Amino acid sequence: MISTGVFPYLLGLSAFLFTIGAAGVLIRRNPIVVLMSIELMLNAANIALIAYGRFLNSVEGQIFAFMVIVVAAAEVVVGLALVTAIFRLGRELDVDDLSEMSE
Amino acid sequence: MTALIAVVMALAAISAIGVVLSRQTIYSALSLVVTVTMISVLFLLLNAQFLFAVQLIIYAGAVMVLFVFIIALLNPDAEDRPALDYRAIVGLVAVAAVTILVFVTARNGITYNSGGFRGQQVGAASNPYHTFAFGQDAVNAAGNVQTVAGQLFTTYLLPFEITSLLLLVAVIGAVYLTRRTRGVG
Repeated sequence: MISTGVFPYLLGLSAFLFTIGAAGVLIRRNPIVVLMSIELMLNAANIALIAYGRFLNSVEGQIFAFMVIVVAAAEVVVGLALVTAIFRLGRELDVDDLSEMSE
Repeated sequence: MTALIAVVMALAAISAIGVVLSRQTIYSALSLVVTVTMISVLFLLLNAQFLFAVQLIIYAGAVMVLFVFIIALLNPDAEDRPALDYRAIVGLVAVAAVTILVFVTARNGITYNSGGFRGQQVGAASNPYHTFAFGQDAVNAAGNVQTVAGQLFTTYLLPFEITSLLLLVAVIGAVYLTRRTRGVG
């Protein structure tokens, strides 16, 4: 059993992983690494959900985390399909070059 | 036990930094495998046995295989390491600030509810999973998978079914995006 003293550290780890993931989305140019950073952020949210569920004696945290995992799996499938579609158009894999929507 | 948690959390944090800072995409992916595995160990230590299994099977298994497959298929070039200019320093300060802020807030501002499982009043006698007398900490005792499944297939049945619709939409989207536009297909 984890004691409640660990709870702040878990939330700190969650915040750290989330901000690292956000920084990865902002500074990396490879869309595959950007998707991985998004996975980091979703996993950070899962840690917070499960830690809260554990220390509030509730299963809702785990059920929410389960939904988040399903959403993350769907997001990866669509995201990697987009990366493949971009690559098949003969484009460079660089998110800075994908700016048609803003022009 | 505390040393184990400290080691797991440190490995998760270090490998997360590796995901963002690796120049080669494949090293990022392998770092992410370490991160999700360490997070699954945290789930196990937090008595979320079902989520531990799901995390290993879905993330460390399916999702990471998909990532590695796409990396092997597309073979992206190595990226220049981000320079340590003022933007990177601002980013590092932001990461540290948010982490410390959340940690201090959680340390000082949260009171813990040590009462019983608050789902016990929900539901009717027709539902066997709601007639359990959840005592204090019963959710976190062994048999957690049964408790999660009981809630998932009764109270949260509609969201659970909607997630299956979401997966269907994702499959259709992936097939649409990767279809052949010319040629035989």
